[in-house]
Amino acid sequence: MAASRLPPAALNLKQFLQRQKVLGVYRDLLRSIRKIPQESDRTYLRDWAREEFKRNKSETNQDVIRMMITQANNHLEDLRKSLALAGC
Amino acid sequence: MASRALAQCVRSVARSSARLSHGNVLTRTACASLVSNQRSLCVVSCHQRTRCTELVRVSGPSLQLCRQYGDLPPLTLESIQDRVMYVLKLYDKISPEKLQTTSHFMKDLGLDSLDQVEIIMAMEDEFGFEIPDAEAEKLMTPAEIVQYIGDKKDVYE
Repeated sequence: MAASRLPPAALNLKQFLQRQKVLGVYRDLLRSIRKIPQESDRTYLRDWAREEFKRNKSETNQDVIRMMITQANNHLEDLRKSLALAGC
Repeated sequence: MASRALAQCVRSVARSSARLSHGNVLTRTACASLVSNQRSLCVVSCHQRTRCTELVRVSGPSLQLCRQYGDLPPLTLESIQDRVMYVLKLYDKISPEKLQTTSHFMKDLGLDSLDQVEIIMAMEDEFGFEIPDAEAEKLMTPAEIVQYIGDKKDVYE
């Protein structure tokens, strides 16, 4: 019925929401990295973030993805706290 | 050469200001000393003087005030498109030959959603305003980006 009309690569609702979360975390991470004063640090962290996300791109297990989102959020919080302490 | 041009400028300014301020002694003496030093420029200075007097006569004693407030030049869709394409060409994952305004990031250029996020962030940096997440994920071709920025910045064509 409805399922047969959708293309095979379509995500169900939970997967779709998770995908949006991942992209949101990536965007927030990039926005925080923008505030770092040193250009070399900025490039290094941007490359690191890109690497981390690309490496786990093909993961399909929802629980693993959830764990990785939590990890990314922790990294984001650390970065934000460091920036706040450094005063920028 | 530069000193000659400077002398001409000072002379013309001094002359016009002397007319306006009704006899400022200092400018007149400065003018006189300069004239005595640069005799070889008599012919040129004559033309300068007549031109200068004509200008002064036309505008009269009132000064034309021209206030220029600091702001960027107004955006046009053309300039936005140029800047968007320039930023995209600098992105390392896009080959400049395949890039067109209608090329879809995912279908034509083979990028994924993470790259699309990076591209939109680069556009935010270029144009200096934030694009919210909900609208950012819908922008899939350079043409759409140009249209979105045009809408946000009220660019009329």
